[in-house]
Amino acid sequence: MPERRLLALLLVAPALAVVLALFVYPLCYSLASAFTTRDGAPSFDNFAKAIELYTADIVFTLVITTVSTVLVAILSAAIGGYLVLGDHPFAVKLLKWLYRWPLFVPFIVAAQCMRTFLAKNGMLNNTLDTLGLVDLRNVSGLLDWRGIIVTFVWKETPFVALLVAGAMAALDRAGIEAARNLGARGLRILVEILVPQVAGVMIVGLVLAFVTMLSVLSVPIMISGGSPTMITVDMAFRVNSYSDYGTANALGFISYLIAGLGAWIYLRRNIAGAAQ
Amino acid sequence: MKRLGIVIATVAGLALGFPATAQNLSVVTAGDQNMVDYAKDYLGPLFEKDHPGVTVRAVGTGPGDAGSQKIYEKLEAEKNNASWDIDVAVIHQKAAGEMAAKGMLARYVPDVPTGKLVTSPAAKKALGADVDGYVIPMFNSQTVIAYNTDMVKDPPASYADLVAWADKHPKQFGYNGIKGGMSGVAFVVGWIYANAPDSERLINGPYDKSTEAAWNDAFAKLATFNKNVVLTPGNAGTLDMLSRGEIAMGPVWVDMFYTWQADGKIPPTIKLKLIGPGMPGQPMYYVVPAKAANAKLAADFIALATSPKVQADGIVKRFNWYPGIDAAAVKSQLDDATWQKLFVDVTPEDLASKGKPFPIAPYFNDILESYERKVQ
Amino acid sequence: MIAALGWLWRGAALGVLAFAIFGPLANLVLWAVALQWYYPHKLPLSFGLRYWREVFKPTSDAFVSLGTSIEIALITVLACLLLAVPAGYALGRRLLPGRAAILMLMLLPQAFPSVAVYINIARLFYRIGLNGTVAGVVLVHSVHGLVIAVWIAAAAFAAVDAELELAARNLGASAWRAALTVTLPLAAPGIMAAAIFVFLESLDEFTGTYFVGVPDITTLPLMMFTASIAGNYQIAAITALILLVPSIAFMLLIERFLNTETLAKIG
Repeated sequence: MPERRLLALLLVAPALAVVLALFVYPLCYSLASAFTTRDGAPSFDNFAKAIELYTADIVFTLVITTVSTVLVAILSAAIGGYLVLGDHPFAVKLLKWLYRWPLFVPFIVAAQCMRTFLAKNGMLNNTLDTLGLVDLRNVSGLLDWRGIIVTFVWKETPFVALLVAGAMAALDRAGIEAARNLGARGLRILVEILVPQVAGVMIVGLVLAFVTMLSVLSVPIMISGGSPTMITVDMAFRVNSYSDYGTANALGFISYLIAGLGAWIYLRRNIAGAAQ
Repeated sequence: MKRLGIVIATVAGLALGFPATAQNLSVVTAGDQNMVDYAKDYLGPLFEKDHPGVTVRAVGTGPGDAGSQKIYEKLEAEKNNASWDIDVAVIHQKAAGEMAAKGMLARYVPDVPTGKLVTSPAAKKALGADVDGYVIPMFNSQTVIAYNTDMVKDPPASYADLVAWADKHPKQFGYNGIKGGMSGVAFVVGWIYANAPDSERLINGPYDKSTEAAWNDAFAKLATFNKNVVLTPGNAGTLDMLSRGEIAMGPVWVDMFYTWQADGKIPPTIKLKLIGPGMPGQPMYYVVPAKAANAKLAADFIALATSPKVQADGIVKRFNWYPGIDAAAVKSQLDDATWQKLFVDVTPEDLASKGKPFPIAPYFNDILESYERKVQ
Repeated sequence: MIAALGWLWRGAALGVLAFAIFGPLANLVLWAVALQWYYPHKLPLSFGLRYWREVFKPTSDAFVSLGTSIEIALITVLACLLLAVPAGYALGRRLLPGRAAILMLMLLPQAFPSVAVYINIARLFYRIGLNGTVAGVVLVHSVHGLVIAVWIAAAAFAAVDAELELAARNLGASAWRAALTVTLPLAAPGIMAAAIFVFLESLDEFTGTYFVGVPDITTLPLMMFTASIAGNYQIAAITALILLVPSIAFMLLIERFLNTETLAKIG
């Protein structure tokens, strides 16, 4: 019925309009700004400048997000796996309660926690020193790109682990029991049986986590003082100090490319899965 | 359902704002938190006492030139409006020069009684740009090297000594690069003054880009130096790491240092040294935007802020800044002990010989960009 | 013997995990009650509540920021619900072709790194005078809020049995009446969850507000950020704890509802 369709369209239109006006339009504006000079002539100058000044940061952004995502994948698979395969109900229950906490800590609060936790004389090093594992005088703080990785992993693992654990719990236990009967132990069951079956859900979560990491400004600003850092900090610096929207948007385009990498992996996986 | 309606109405009402019954004086200041505190906790109440019915609204835009840039951008975006919503702005020299050149500032100084009390060259020229009549300095500040006397027995006296020291004590010196605070920027400028030829030309002009080829060596040395140092998150970051023993030395603003020490945030074992051939300092300026909504009130506010009494009590005594107006006018308002507190580690002779201004604006921008290109 | 070893390994692993998760949070709490803390001391030298008094006095920045944050969050929730409930109904009830495409479009804000978008929104808002206003910040928060709200609302409406609405219409109710009095109340729990998510997301939002709100609008995350950068760790820690309260409260509340089926529908 056409009038029903029209009505449905009217119901959706306002929400669509907001997303179009407040996201798609600025996005197009950003792309346009990246490829033009201040006077409006098309050029690659902004990219030349961005690459000249910030190559190290671009590389590090890629490294930080990729390493973080891989670590999140490993940890969330391990947590999900233990929740499904663990034999001791008390340990499983404790883990279930424990791992969710960082999920509800906002990024900026996590950044503040880590700023003092990972400092040279922060709680982490102090504790390790008390345990005799390091010497406070020689140790260095983690307040650089490694601290950014730690914070991202801390914050994103519960999210992906939640998805993965849910997916694993929904799997048919028959396969697991069969493998157990054949003598396979925990790790092998996890890697060869569980993970392949939840790979789809896991990749969705990892791609979302990956894109989120590229969007965060608070964590790199608060944790890593100088170079190398993530290009989000450079974008903010360019705009705030020089009003240089061209270079900032060029860096933005580069971050879209990096995000696109993640999306491409997701699509490849989906197409491969559909083809099977 | 009805209660929800009332809640929504209340929230909507609050969102639309109270109608302005009192007169609001909008004071927007760049710089660290101490600048905002000064306007909000000290100047604001003082002014409101003399001007009943006026509320002073103080807002900060953040440290460094980035904060001043935000003020410039805001006014630039409003430039076609009938009146602007910033009455008093406190900005750095670079932004002041730009805004004066673009006609965005009111020429209020001749109409203000305290205008006669400022004779220093910094009140007439800002990084080479003419600002005579548009600005009154709020204060003068100076960067120095702060060092922990427990960890550094013999502090370096010059940039060259510092390089040698950092070589022997890696990761014990920290500064914030050029992002996040002007103390790091000042350190880099001082480095150029020490390591590149003709620093006089950098300070007084004329601007000639070809002279910058001589900087390559200096920046290469800085890149090597950076490998031995820690990069801190900002002005406060350097002070913070100093206080927690994570670094032994770093560039700081004298006023910020003394304020932190007075607050008990820095142990008394940390002292200051102004190293040679010199380190920059800068005033920050009171300006009135050209189309400020409350221009007369703004001028009155600045007159109060630059009066000898307020400069003595507020600027020197409470906040440990060097005064913006002429020292002679302020010194008479203070007892000797308070005045001398400013010069405990850094004597007036030090200031006279090693306190330098920042370079003229085009050289300043080029130094920053070269840093990004060659050192980062 | 082997069982004991197993427990040792298990205990150690869980202990390390507990330290990794609660250590940073405990550090935050310590800073919130510390008066003086510097090297080489591993714990604060003196404790006190002085900074709490500073944060909670009515004229303080923190109080104003808290008010601003809550105000913005509430308006954002309102705006998002007004937009998302109709859209969710249309999408959940599968009234439209191209439903998948529209849902994908709604997902765009989550798919692109948003810093560059915020920078440009700020620039556009400057021109139309929305920068530094509550309305501007609400709009920025709503973009991401809408993504959550529309998806959850669509899932909530889809979960309501269409039969019930048809039954109501058979009894003579108009389409509107059936939707409002039958479907909406049944979808309400899902919509409430969406509202809470949007509220929390707006309360904790930093990056967009950093570009669009400064300098006139200060939300609690911005205030926390400024305090942290200025080295004022006590105030930053206290503000962080204030920000944590609604989130943790919601987490404890939702423990019962956060089952995997709902999440699977969202994913």
